[in-house]
Amino acid sequence: MIIKKDLIKRDIAGETVLVPCGKTIYDSNGLFILNELGAFLWDLLPTAEGEAELVSAVLAEYEVAEETARGDIGEFLDKLREMDII
Amino acid sequence: MQRKQSEPFLSRYLHTKGRAKGLPIAGNFELTARCNFDCPMCYVHLKQEDVEARGRELTTEQWIGLAREARDAGMVFVLLTGGEPFVRKDFFEIYGAMKKMGLLVSINSNGSMLTGEIRQKLIEDPPFRVNVSLYGGCPETYRSMCGQDAFNRVVENIRCLKEAGIDVRINLSITGYNRQDMEKIWQISQELGVHVKAASYMFPSIRVNDEQFGQGDRLCPEDAAACAVRWDRLRFAPEEFAARARAMQALTAAESSDCPTELESGVRCRAGSTSFWMTWDGRMLPCGMMTWPVTRPLDVSFGEAWKQLRQKTAEIKSAPGCVNCPKKDVCSVCAASRVAETGSFEQVPEYICRYTDALIEKTWAAYQESEDEYHDH
Repeated sequence: MIIKKDLIKRDIAGETVLVPCGKTIYDSNGLFILNELGAFLWDLLPTAEGEAELVSAVLAEYEVAEETARGDIGEFLDKLREMDII
Repeated sequence: MQRKQSEPFLSRYLHTKGRAKGLPIAGNFELTARCNFDCPMCYVHLKQEDVEARGRELTTEQWIGLAREARDAGMVFVLLTGGEPFVRKDFFEIYGAMKKMGLLVSINSNGSMLTGEIRQKLIEDPPFRVNVSLYGGCPETYRSMCGQDAFNRVVENIRCLKEAGIDVRINLSITGYNRQDMEKIWQISQELGVHVKAASYMFPSIRVNDEQFGQGDRLCPEDAAACAVRWDRLRFAPEEFAARARAMQALTAAESSDCPTELESGVRCRAGSTSFWMTWDGRMLPCGMMTWPVTRPLDVSFGEAWKQLRQKTAEIKSAPGCVNCPKKDVCSVCAASRVAETGSFEQVPEYICRYTDALIEKTWAAYQESEDEYHDH
């Protein structure tokens, strides 16, 4: 998947934060905080071929039903698309 | 009309978490004390060509190294300030390195140098925010206050940055040199669509001369308060101004308590708990208006200097006379202003008491005057 924005992932005060950099400041003039799943998925996005690959990775890492994982991942990706991040 | 600009939730959230964990979430980096303007109320105030001062400034590598250490310790917000930060030839080297570290970089500037290549570089790699000080509403005021005829250039530069999509704010210091221009400045800000943060209280320049407690080229407290009320009448709608006046009366109506209140922490803002100020010559302070406590990250390490600063700041006590004052909810006194006015954190600053008394009285008088006008019509 292609990340369209210039965002730097940082750990700040125990939170995973995406800090806008470069010209991304123009359309994302603020911070994003990722929850644990979001932080896990964020690192996989640049190399992931599709949603199925993300689901497999989550099932390998977390004890979770496939349907739940699929739903949570879909929601996360929808939010990123909504914000034009991917 | 202009509403108060509230801080984004995530920023407040990180400061709250940072306070609990003792992290330096925000840093102010005063890159230089030199400036191409010569304003009488400035708290650092060195000439642009001051070679001796330039020799004592931190190097490019030192600023970048400190930023990296601060970033690793938790810093996310950084303000580059001065003097005028753009007088440094290496400004963009420092700025670019900080942006690449994952910092949200804001800039304080007098706006006079935001032309040509500097403006283009900012547009290509924009800061989180640029705060431009607007010192007057016409060339004459700029000449008398800043020693430079830069008014038109500054306004044009604000307009260009704003049009490019950069978040620009105006800082306004109201003094005896520019108070006649307040309405013009308000008008300009409305035309530009830029928020203004105004202040008519000017700190004594103890950074320039540490014997100048309570002194400075500034308005008397009653005149400074009158300017604050004039500004409030510009920025608030009539009903908001009225609500503010009534709230001030209600907050100050209570009698002073006879029961001694336990002394609260002397520093109630973020200074020295989640934010710090690095001076141009390498000292770390809780706030740029203080001269103490001071630590030196270049002599120890950033982490050790920050730890020492937090400990020393936590020892600062409040003034007993302020803690029990019935006007404390209206008064803007802080640890920095107490020490700058009196030389002690624990003394009541008379200038600020007079300012607050006048602010309450003049706000109420302005409210009553507008009520009378309303009923007359």
